[in-house]
Amino acid sequence: MSVAWIGSQPVPLMDAIQKAAKLLASSHCPVFSLDADVHGTRSTIALAERLGGAFDHVYGETLAREVALFTDNGGMFTTPGEARRRSSLIVLVGEIPAPHHDMLLAWSNTQPDLGDGGQRAWFHIGGAAPASRATRQFNRQLKTVPITGGDLPLSAVLAGLRARLQGRQVTSPLANVDRLGAALNKSQFPVFVFSSTSGEAAGLAMLQGLIADLNRKGRASSVFLPADDDAWGTALTSLWMTGFPPRTGFANSLPSYDPVRWDTQRMVRDKEADLHVWVSARGEMPPKGRKIKLISLSRAEAPTANATVTIAVGKAGRDHDGVAYSSRIGTFQALAATERSSLPSVSSIVQQLARALPGRQDLPC
Amino acid sequence: MLIRLAGGDVIDPVNGETGQRDIWIRDGLLIDRPEGETPDETHDVSGCIVMAGAIDIHSHIGGGNVNTARLLLPEHHAAHLPRPANTPLSNAGWSTFQTGCLYAQMGFTTVVEPAMAPSAALHTHLELADIPIIDKATLAILGNDDFTLSLLRDAKSSSMLDDYVAWIIGSSRALGVKVINAGAAASFKENVRSFSFDDMVPEYGVSSRNIVKSLQASVTRLGIPHPLHVHANNLGIAGSADTAAATIAATEGVPMHLAHLQFYGYGIEGKRKFSSEAARLAELVNGNPDVTIDIGQVMFGQTVTISSDVMRQFTAIGNANPKKTVIIDGDGNSSGGIVPYRYRQDYYGSLQWAVGLELFLLITDPWRVFFTTDHPNGAPFTAYPELFELLMSSDARDAKSTELNPSALELTTLASVRREYTFEEIAIMTRAAPARLLGLKDRGHLGPGAIADVAVYRRSKDIAKMFREAALVFKNGELVVKNGKVTHYRWGKALRLNPPPDKAMIKRMKDYHDERYGLSLDWFTFPDTAIARDDPFAEVPCNS
Repeated sequence: MSVAWIGSQPVPLMDAIQKAAKLLASSHCPVFSLDADVHGTRSTIALAERLGGAFDHVYGETLAREVALFTDNGGMFTTPGEARRRSSLIVLVGEIPAPHHDMLLAWSNTQPDLGDGGQRAWFHIGGAAPASRATRQFNRQLKTVPITGGDLPLSAVLAGLRARLQGRQVTSPLANVDRLGAALNKSQFPVFVFSSTSGEAAGLAMLQGLIADLNRKGRASSVFLPADDDAWGTALTSLWMTGFPPRTGFANSLPSYDPVRWDTQRMVRDKEADLHVWVSARGEMPPKGRKIKLISLSRAEAPTANATVTIAVGKAGRDHDGVAYSSRIGTFQALAATERSSLPSVSSIVQQLARALPGRQDLPC
Repeated sequence: MLIRLAGGDVIDPVNGETGQRDIWIRDGLLIDRPEGETPDETHDVSGCIVMAGAIDIHSHIGGGNVNTARLLLPEHHAAHLPRPANTPLSNAGWSTFQTGCLYAQMGFTTVVEPAMAPSAALHTHLELADIPIIDKATLAILGNDDFTLSLLRDAKSSSMLDDYVAWIIGSSRALGVKVINAGAAASFKENVRSFSFDDMVPEYGVSSRNIVKSLQASVTRLGIPHPLHVHANNLGIAGSADTAAATIAATEGVPMHLAHLQFYGYGIEGKRKFSSEAARLAELVNGNPDVTIDIGQVMFGQTVTISSDVMRQFTAIGNANPKKTVIIDGDGNSSGGIVPYRYRQDYYGSLQWAVGLELFLLITDPWRVFFTTDHPNGAPFTAYPELFELLMSSDARDAKSTELNPSALELTTLASVRREYTFEEIAIMTRAAPARLLGLKDRGHLGPGAIADVAVYRRSKDIAKMFREAALVFKNGELVVKNGKVTHYRWGKALRLNPPPDKAMIKRMKDYHDERYGLSLDWFTFPDTAIARDDPFAEVPCNS
């Protein structure tokens, strides 16, 4: 099976490495869209730094919204493990991404063994926008009590709820708000579960304001569930390596974080970059119709469309061992290969690319 | 490779008095002068001060809370200037790469991250592995987790607690144990808002004192070289000196290390009910040989406070600058709070600054007082050179005092203390004593057999400049810094203990995680290969 292609032609791996290195060395502005485990991320960021490029996650748009929750506001958080063990009241906020449904359903089969130890109750705060079929089914399984406000969007429902819980009048009635108020009074450690897909930034800031209100006299917290665990892992890795989250560039060797300027897919679209390095250990394809040169490191059995160079890579936890973020435990987890294969890791390919560049230096990671 | 450092003024309190002599390095180790051999490399260091590489016992350099602070504050990087150049990722803001470079430039070769949540040990070690040049180590946090509290509540045997502590130390690859406001994080989840040494944790009926004493005893029984590292209750509040005094009195003949004592040096005198109790605490430390302390010196400017003392951090939200914070009620010992803060030269900042210096200067034994700013809580570690100057020059202290709030300084003894640290005392406080405190016999001195961690400083009237830019730094015999610039990258190790795990405890841990979290223990443990560096750890033996 071929693992490397120049254009659509299968080539030996080293030929593809040499070709890709030439493209990298001659680029004035390479940009990296990446989706890899911790070690693939580390190597890719180190290569971007060496080349004076910029990097972002493949799911950069969603990730940038998640990062902004912290850079703009901060908040009060707990871990899924603590919520499972301690909270007798779980309030879901907006759409919870499907990958997290199993974890939450598992909570519904347990009772807290810490704190008040009460029977766990479930609520769901939703807006006027119709919920997805998966969310509707999920809410039915959990038997959540809906908190809604007719035509109000989620952010307005949260604002109204916050006002009501503070004893203020609101003009738009909210369904089941008194039931939630009673449940909040009863529970010693209510937890609001949300994701960046739950709503707009203003609404999520309002949610944190509501939690802050509850903490004036009692306790409450929130569980943040990233839309994509691997993307969140990339954000954390980027933070310790560069001091900044993704959408960071190394122009003039100094890193700078700018979620608009270093949006790599925008840069590709607007032709601000002259080389796009697409790294997807999940095997996703780059957006079509882009006009700049493309190097693709992807878990694929065929060359990526319009790529000058394609190199097949493995996925951590499947083809090889690795480390990835897990929202089940709220931190990094060592992954053992489940279907060990000969596909190289992203990290090993990026290291080979670095050694093929002029200077032939190893990357620091 | 045989290296000779020729003609330097060697300050090595462990191995003799200060004097001019050569230092010889072969294959990463210090050796006696080899007879009849010609060095491969000679560095003329005549006129320079030569010391062992410095060791920082308490600096928050990596892990979940540190990284969350980066996430909260991408604008914070200026606090960590200046930046080295020409090394991979060393320009990269407030990063792991920059941390290693900046420490090395000052002659530091080993740094301890003192607050690792055991459940997030992999994250911490991944970060530490990306800190170049220096060796690192961690202290595992215990004392707020359900398992420890349940053992104490149920009066389980001390051997079971020992087995648990040993398992935590081994599985998290830690060098010691730290307790942070023992019981407070667990109590905060039950809506307790203040927590003192003899207060009880709800649900468990266990006092903070009981937690501290039990872990202190366990650490001693297990032969863990570093005494229990204690972040006491009531940090930062007026009157906290009473808490520190009670904790010091609780040593009862067993070693204990009290972290960042400056933050407990406050009384309730004066118009603002916030005064210095440093002289009283210094006297207590001087009179109790079982106690060691580090300072947590405050220096002025912007920083961010990062602490697993979530109760304390929650109460500090109102003082956040800028106005954004993260508070985490984590499971077990993974709670924490991130609160940005600017130390101003106002009454409160001036008093805190003076309290730290009073403790440094009034505690007489440099083997029992350790040089820290509790990075970044009192100040970023990049402020160390200025702090060395304040300790070694009473004129520098006087000059700075003129800029500060006089009514605050009047409530301190600082102006009357004329002590100036000598180079020998600096070498004890930052080299010899930390190595002894941590059980690191292979460093902190310049005797034969020690690893060749050597810092060479060019003498200067400008003490801060001298310590900011080491003339030469060797790490394991490799020249890594020249004229204050990093010239060579290498990867240090994380120093760890490795007590053998008890099989019954492993089974208990498996059952516990399965029952309480619905997850197998594999989710929380990791192989060394997960770090993806060659030999990322180095073992330090426990005391026999």
